[in-house]
Amino acid sequence: MSDEAFTAFRVGEQLRRSLDGPWEVFGERGRRYEIHLNGATTEMERGPLHVEGFGLRVFRPQGDQYGVGFVATTDLSEAGIARTAADAQATSAFARFPTKRVELPATVNGAGASVETVDRHLWEHPVEALRDYVHALVSPFDGRTDVVPSFGSVRAALSETTLTNSEGIQRRVRRTTVELEFAVKAFGGPEGRAPGEFWVNRETCELTTRGLAEDVAQWCQRAQDVRIARPTPSGITNVILPPEPLADIVPPILGFRLSGVAELRKMAPTPGDRIAAESFTLDDDGLLRHGLESAPYDDEGNPQVRRTLIDRGVVGTPAYDVLHAGAFGRAPTGSGKRGAAGGAPSWFRFTLPPGPSATTLVVRPGDGGSEEELIEAAGDGIYLGQLGFPFPDPLSGAFGGEIRIAYRIRHGKKAEPIRGGTLGGVALTAPGAPSLIQSVRGIGGRAELRGALSTPALWVDGLTVAGEGPG
Amino acid sequence: MSSLRSAEDDLARALRSLEARTPYAEVMAEVTGGHTLRHDRNATTPAPLPRLEGAVFRAWSGALWLETAASGLGRHALDAAAEELRGRLPATPTTTPPPGDSATGRGERATTEKRPIDDLSLEQRLEWAKTMYGYATSVPGIGNAIVTLGHLSDERLFLSTAGARRHQHVVRVRTTVVPLAIENGKVEYDFLTLGETGGAEIVEKLTEADVHLVAKEAIALLAAKEAPTGRMTVLLDPSTAGTFAHESFGHGTEADQMLRNRSYLKPVLGEVVGPPELTLVDDGSYPTGWGSIFFDDEGHEARRNVLVDHGRFVGALHDRESAAAMHATAGGNTRRSDFLSRPFVRMTNTFVEPGDWSVEELVKEAKEGVLMQSCSSGMEDPLGGNMQLKVKKARRIHRGEIGEMLPSLALSGGVLAFLKSIRGVGRKDQFEMSPGYCGKGHTDYIPAGTGGTHLLAEAIVGPA
Repeated sequence: MSDEAFTAFRVGEQLRRSLDGPWEVFGERGRRYEIHLNGATTEMERGPLHVEGFGLRVFRPQGDQYGVGFVATTDLSEAGIARTAADAQATSAFARFPTKRVELPATVNGAGASVETVDRHLWEHPVEALRDYVHALVSPFDGRTDVVPSFGSVRAALSETTLTNSEGIQRRVRRTTVELEFAVKAFGGPEGRAPGEFWVNRETCELTTRGLAEDVAQWCQRAQDVRIARPTPSGITNVILPPEPLADIVPPILGFRLSGVAELRKMAPTPGDRIAAESFTLDDDGLLRHGLESAPYDDEGNPQVRRTLIDRGVVGTPAYDVLHAGAFGRAPTGSGKRGAAGGAPSWFRFTLPPGPSATTLVVRPGDGGSEEELIEAAGDGIYLGQLGFPFPDPLSGAFGGEIRIAYRIRHGKKAEPIRGGTLGGVALTAPGAPSLIQSVRGIGGRAELRGALSTPALWVDGLTVAGEGPG
Repeated sequence: MSSLRSAEDDLARALRSLEARTPYAEVMAEVTGGHTLRHDRNATTPAPLPRLEGAVFRAWSGALWLETAASGLGRHALDAAAEELRGRLPATPTTTPPPGDSATGRGERATTEKRPIDDLSLEQRLEWAKTMYGYATSVPGIGNAIVTLGHLSDERLFLSTAGARRHQHVVRVRTTVVPLAIENGKVEYDFLTLGETGGAEIVEKLTEADVHLVAKEAIALLAAKEAPTGRMTVLLDPSTAGTFAHESFGHGTEADQMLRNRSYLKPVLGEVVGPPELTLVDDGSYPTGWGSIFFDDEGHEARRNVLVDHGRFVGALHDRESAAAMHATAGGNTRRSDFLSRPFVRMTNTFVEPGDWSVEELVKEAKEGVLMQSCSSGMEDPLGGNMQLKVKKARRIHRGEIGEMLPSLALSGGVLAFLKSIRGVGRKDQFEMSPGYCGKGHTDYIPAGTGGTHLLAEAIVGPA
């Protein structure tokens, strides 16, 4: 494939002849492959699903601010490119953003770190890779009647993004992303007819069967436990949160509140303020191995790095893209991402303008040891298996959802399963006020990567559990 | 002529090229666009929505469905996608037809815009947004507000080898106002959302009084006391009742889940599940409904489907396969998010039909409990049959009267138990429809309307 074929470079070549002032083109060319399951049976195979498009951003000074126009399209014809440029310029005349400068990265601006962003086998053999994975996923159920697959899908996106701008920069990143949705249900036995289900959603950048058999065994156990779970008791505030539910809570809230967007709206905590327990340190690692958002460059072409957002409980520097860096007179932090914090799309990035966002948030492991040791230290409380969905609210910092499966902790041991009722609280709020990260009492010693978060299990006090059983 | 109509001959030819390998194939081609404007104290961000074009081909292999898709509507892209699908179909075509009835209807439909949204210039949109911003920030304590105004144009053409040709153009307009109250590092807000199919006339429905009210509510939330927790009497406002109808009940009526034995509702189909005054409906033909469509993505016409009729669970939502398996008819509920997404059985506009209680009567009947308002989200549990709804605010009900403001809450509990606990449904004058986006699980988001009146019942309440 020649360089001329790359989407952004091709579009940029046409625009370079007609556009004045700062501009940037982000191109994307992707293929997607999917297998959908009904039980253990394939009900649909999809792919290749091809998409190619670009997003153009132009910047026009307006007094002491800038007007920013962004337009995206799949129309790559010469006329389509010209129309997109005209629309972007027209839009910029009505837009305003309080940045004092727009400094797009130039050719000489950083070589970028080496980071693996592609599952090579998946890239080269997507259909076979997906079929092999699905076989490994459902084969543990051969001959089983107590627990069976309910439904599922495995979706792989293979995308190549390209970036060029008025400074002449040329960046190219290839990515693979895999979304797994899989539900298992348990029935039969002395518990009667009512089935129990455990439903998994995961996003990774490689398609691997490493550890899959162990994961499937745990999911089956959870589905069985759902059937015998007792009602959740009220009032318990001592909770062990493993990585999976934390991944739905922490990135959307902390990723937003520790960004230039929140700072501009006076919602960000002040650097230097203590907002978390002293044992809590949070990094934003744009180079984490197998991180979904790991890449040598962000979506504006600036080098991604590893930075500390909260250092032993104290707030550090927020994430800045080009525009927000300009607004605050700071340097971009390699955080210009196309997609919301913790929710970047696996493809279709070209349809979104960049904004400041964390890449992979990393909670540094602590001295709490294994999950069993954390549970032992907690003594009495709840080990959370899964919330239906925690509904994280980035603006207020609140979260809360229905307990799909959890376990009582009694005398330092994981005991009977419980379900129903809600668990909630505030992930981040004003300094000194109780919150999830203020109330961390213990941090496990081994981190796991789940979506946009790498974290060990956390022992947290101060969350509210509302159930109907006695406490 | 739109690019979709221009491409029709190429689409038809590409579709015909599949006929030698399959007893049935179809193509759904789409062009989307629109505009969005966001305005707050710090920035004004107008943006045309991405102009996306493409087509997805689907064919029956004899054992499963196969699909390929491509962005762009050029002949080369369409031929390539069809060719890739041909290559995956058996060389000797199956004689086994796909399950269910293939739509054969033809038709052209478009959203009625009393005042075309495209006639609303960017200057006028900006003026409207600044006016709404001014209304919100005129309330003492509100220093900022986020105002958005957007419209989405979605044009789809469905062709099949069975002879169906359905062309539709749906226009959706949505506005939101979110006043922000910030005090000593604590952030609170309330929100006002309006979204319908239609034109610029929708924008004119938001009033100064509406915006003042939500701004004052945002201020009040800063001082909201800790909410009560546990099982109690709950009075759902229309937005929460609508989300209940959609998330808690509606997802369980999607018949693909029943075929997978993954619906807690399957065993109670035909049985009484609620009081006589409870009727739940999904209606893709609801006038101006946010989730309204003219045809689904299998070519069937959208229609009104009654799910619960005066307390009895009478019907489910179907695609062609589930309809065939359950001896029902496909009811216009097969939807794709876009030309790159697969079709699923989906809801359109799901709502609770009005009853005959006034709000005052319901509050008095509640005696002690909470009034749950401004529903922000919900999540289904199709097999477990539990419910999960989140509201942005609530009010304590004490001695049959509405009391102080409470912060955001989550509601949970078993849906069937909740239905049995319903003690009253509000009158028609309370009925509201709300715009939302619905996922199938965590993906494939589509516009879906929810609606209802007030609903009095019992549930577990906790913080969120």
